[in-house]
Amino acid sequence: MSQDDEKWGVAHVHASFNNTVMTVTDLTGAETIAKSSGGTAVKQNRDEASPYAAMQMAESIAEEVKAAGITGLHVRVRGPGGNLQKSPGPGAQATIRALARSGIEIGRIEDVTPIPHDGSRAPKGKGGY
Amino acid sequence: MRVAVTGTPGTGKTTATDILASRLATDDSLPDLEVIHLNAVLDEEGLYTEVDADRGSKIADLEALADWLDGRDDAVIDSHLAHHFDADRVAVLRCAPEMLEERLLERGETEAKAAENAESEALDVVLSEAVETHGLESIYEIDTTDRDPEAVADALEAVVAGDREPSAGDVDFMGYLT
Ligand SMILES: Nc1ncnc2c1ncn2[C@@H]1O[C@H](COP(=O)(O)OP(=O)(O)O)[C@@H](O)[C@H]1O
Ligand SMILES: [Mg+2]
Repeated sequence: MSQDDEKWGVAHVHASFNNTVMTVTDLTGAETIAKSSGGTAVKQNRDEASPYAAMQMAESIAEEVKAAGITGLHVRVRGPGGNLQKSPGPGAQATIRALARSGIEIGRIEDVTPIPHDGSRAPKGKGGY
Repeated sequence: MRVAVTGTPGTGKTTATDILASRLATDDSLPDLEVIHLNAVLDEEGLYTEVDADRGSKIADLEALADWLDGRDDAVIDSHLAHHFDADRVAVLRCAPEMLEERLLERGETEAKAAENAESEALDVVLSEAVETHGLESIYEIDTTDRDPEAVADALEAVVAGDREPSAGDVDFMGYLT
């Protein structure tokens, strides 16, 4: 595929304790190309964040994304579901793998998880991502 | 017994643990626990490494705080960092992000601070860390969205007294983000 045929978008993955939601936009973030949630794949509370549900969601989103002519996605992950090792919501990793498997090129993966803070905050790697 | 009271800033930890403190002091049927507001300790003892200028927030020295807490085993610890330390029970206060944002703005916080905390709450950041560190069997999630401070203190009292079972993941605030 030549450079000219490449078209990139951004996958915004929100991964919480119970749920994984993904929105795909153009590079500016202005135009939404596809949108889904773990809830649409498996409607069972805790299971919504399971790798299986996240994978199914990513596969269905990948079809929409490809139909819109997008060949590659940068990924912005927000939420502990994408970070914590033993996290009950390991949705983010499964989501990214499923996107790659369905033939979409994966570009930069960025972690933009918010940091809870008042007068104090945790250091990086200890909750302060 | 050590009880951690954690939760995103604005969920009402300090308000509810203040009420709990006066009950602990007067009610002989409750265990004899000291309430520690950890942010005050961090400030007074200087237990931080640097300052996050963007957030106007001191970066906690978790090891120094753990040392300071060492030996203070009969305590209720109020802090959104409380789940980073040893505890027998971990209460996690929750609040619908829209309302949390309002509470923080009313408390006089900046819009950026209120928004980042609301987003943290929507993504279950504190709950997930607490479960990761302590396991589901130690977590007592308390939704404060439609509870006044006295009712939140009631819920904390039940945790302290051993009158309720652990639970986590009963709220889903993701709707705030989409
Ligand atoms: N249960 C509640 N319902 C409504 N408002 C509350 C409640 N608990 C606390 N607040 C208000 O919300 C703000 C944050 O409460 P605070 O106890 O300081 O939270 P935290 O210590 O968790 O950051 C304060 O302005 C307080 O008056
Ligand atoms: Mg407080």
